[in-house]
Amino acid sequence: MFPFLLAGRYLRSRLIPLIAVGAVALCVALVVIVVSVMTGFLDMLRNSGRSLLGDVIVSAPIGGIPYANEFMAELSTLPEVDASTPLVDTLGLLRMPYPQGSRKETVPVQVWGIDPTSFARVTDYADDLYWKPGTEEERGLMQEDDPRLPLDDSLLRQGETLLDGQGKPAIVLGMHVSIVNSRQGDGSYRNRYGWFLPGMEVVLTVVPIGESGRVGAQRDRVFTIANEIQTGIYEVDKNRVFVPIGVAQELLQMDAAPIVDASAEPDANGQFPVRGTSPARVSKILVRAKPGVTAAALRDLVEARLNAFTERISMDPGRQGRIPLNMNVLTWEQQLRDLIAPVEKEREMMRILFSIIYLVCAGLILSIFWAIVAEKTRDIGILRAVGASRWGILSTFLSYGLAIGVIGSLLGVALASVVVTRINDIHDAIGHDAPAWTWISAYAIAAAATWGVVCYARRAILLRTLLFGIVAMTAALLGIALLLHEGTLIWDPSVYYFVDIPSTVDWTTAVFTALGGVVFSVIGAAIPAAKAADTDPVEALRYG
Amino acid sequence: MGEPLLVADAVHKTYRVGRVDVPVLCGTSLSIARGEWVAILGSSGSGKSTLMHVLGGIDRPDRDKGDIRFKGESLASWGHGRIDRYRSRDVGFVFQHYHLLPELSVLENAALPCTVGGAGGLSLSGSREVRDRCTRLLEACGVGHRMCHRPAELSGGERQRVALVRALAADPAVLLADEPTGNLDAANSAAILDLIAARHSEGLTIAMVTHDQTVAARADRMVHLVDGRVECRPVSRSSGTSVPSRSPAAPA
Ligand SMILES: Nc1ncnc2c1ncn2[C@@H]1O[C@H](COP(=O)(O)OP(=O)(O)OP(=O)(O)O)[C@@H](O)[C@H]1O
Ligand SMILES: [Mg+2]
Repeated sequence: MFPFLLAGRYLRSRLIPLIAVGAVALCVALVVIVVSVMTGFLDMLRNSGRSLLGDVIVSAPIGGIPYANEFMAELSTLPEVDASTPLVDTLGLLRMPYPQGSRKETVPVQVWGIDPTSFARVTDYADDLYWKPGTEEERGLMQEDDPRLPLDDSLLRQGETLLDGQGKPAIVLGMHVSIVNSRQGDGSYRNRYGWFLPGMEVVLTVVPIGESGRVGAQRDRVFTIANEIQTGIYEVDKNRVFVPIGVAQELLQMDAAPIVDASAEPDANGQFPVRGTSPARVSKILVRAKPGVTAAALRDLVEARLNAFTERISMDPGRQGRIPLNMNVLTWEQQLRDLIAPVEKEREMMRILFSIIYLVCAGLILSIFWAIVAEKTRDIGILRAVGASRWGILSTFLSYGLAIGVIGSLLGVALASVVVTRINDIHDAIGHDAPAWTWISAYAIAAAATWGVVCYARRAILLRTLLFGIVAMTAALLGIALLLHEGTLIWDPSVYYFVDIPSTVDWTTAVFTALGGVVFSVIGAAIPAAKAADTDPVEALRYG
Repeated sequence: MGEPLLVADAVHKTYRVGRVDVPVLCGTSLSIARGEWVAILGSSGSGKSTLMHVLGGIDRPDRDKGDIRFKGESLASWGHGRIDRYRSRDVGFVFQHYHLLPELSVLENAALPCTVGGAGGLSLSGSREVRDRCTRLLEACGVGHRMCHRPAELSGGERQRVALVRALAADPAVLLADEPTGNLDAANSAAILDLIAARHSEGLTIAMVTHDQTVAARADRMVHLVDGRVECRPVSRSSGTSVPSRSPAAPA
């Protein structure tokens, strides 16, 4: 019992255990915060990858996949498949309606021809459309000048069907394809220069590429903008546009077409005889798994089905189309490799950096304990001289370290969870100029401390003069820094894909980091204590 | 003379300072009988404290050069547990520099030899029994009103009395006191000596270092440490009895 009682007394009667607790807490908090943000970032990347692409992606080389509807009908009989949707994917140029005058801006875009109904079942397409009135609750949170407030459902309907008010094919743009949407602190958008794009017309230019790879003549088409879409991934929002799949197939010459026999005699109208039909083609098929089915499992199933389907088609002499042999069946993770891989690499690098920081923290904790125990060497000598056993000494300092480690780690985790959950607020605060009261109060503190310096200097109290001087100087520097501070954007969405910083605590890391803090505290206290317990009492007493 | 209780037998103790060996004890022999009160005198630096440390089991003689025996058993043959028990139960030690724990109160410091051995119960001031005994001793030494103070709040003399109470707390067979009256005025010093003498008359064996001839005179026997060796001088040539004499005898 004695060791615990003595450890408790040591804890309560000195300042130095408080410093140790603070050091442990800060180290733990540092590691938990950074790893949480990093892990949250990867999780967000993964989640949004899935919500953009579904679980499994079947993609074809440039020629495209024929008979896609037949294959999807076959897939829909599988119990593991929730939904699937065809997709035509190409690059294009978009002539924007701005600026005024004839020199309009043209931007490169990635064009997705989609069937909006089934596409919305596989991805979060419909939920991501931005221009919609929103629920009552959302409207309550909007600011007065939010352009969504006066909206009704019509733009949302247009976006969901990809048809404009007259029922003609329309286009949906990623939120950042145009430059006219400016993001506000609360995540909503305002229209710059008075440009509100839905309802305006754009010209899309694409280049068809034949099944054999031959490049055709460029095709232009005017579309009305139905809506804009915000997926949350900046890379996507910056250059993706959606048009109806039928229009895309037609523009790219991937629609069904009669095959004519040019070698035969033309008929009376000068037409060659029709030998059959070349089927419509798509570039990709996205498949969504039923809940509980993993993407990898579904991928294997889909690939098996595709192989059987390819064989059946090739055996059928009535079919003119052929399924290409070099088809890819990938999970969304594999498909997004080049987006995810750099982040994973980055996380590995952070891991390595942080194992170093972790060791530095451990060293810091160890050296603080070394100092604490060194200061107690004389006490250890006294205790040994009046008959305390080595084990008694050791357990005193083990429980001392344990208590500091546990308190420090708990405080650290608490601090980290506060910082991580409020990280977007903190980031916003850094992103703005410091409010006047902060630097005014910093100067007030500096002035008060300077007064203290003068008073104590006249009474020749050196330590207090020094302490007040340090406070005054720090406050003054802080005031200058706050005054000069201009908002800096650290989390730049164009660098980090997402518009918000991830803000969930990674509890696995938190638990292990806290355990690490406890272990290092115990070891840090045990090593010098064991050393002191091993020395002869008289030797230890000499330190006093 | 009764049977020897604590014996130092040709003890050598050498300190190494840098490359130089500093011999402090050179074959010191001292035999303390059960119930005897021995005063150890000697000039400063003659090795009195070192001898006390070796006798108290908190320092060791040079390897194979001399031996300390308690009740006929050699300390060198004991394991850790026995040595710990010897320090806490068999001897009480008063350090020249008090050596109190700064974080503990006076009462808790006094009870230390009992509590480190596990007789503490749930409090640093020990079980009720220990607490009562320490309280009585502290009151007898005139520091009863300082029970809850920290050592830093006491005067040198008060600290010395607390150190003495700590040495007596576990009711040891031998008291080893390194200048227990070094910081006290004549009146206080006499009070402490009366207390020690009372314990002596109850059978406590005492070895005490002092510079003060009047203090030494109250012992049964005086020994002088010169150059690390003991020169014996009897105190009361006339009586020659082992019964403690309460009358101050003339110094030799
Ligand atoms: N750890 C040590 N290392 C080196 N020399 C030491 C050590 N301990 C003691 N000495 C030396 O041993 C000699 C005796 O020391 P000791 O403390 O036993 O003297 P003392 O007789 O108690 O003196 P005082 O009357 O001043 O208390 C001194 O010269 C001292 O310098
Ligand atoms: Mg001494």
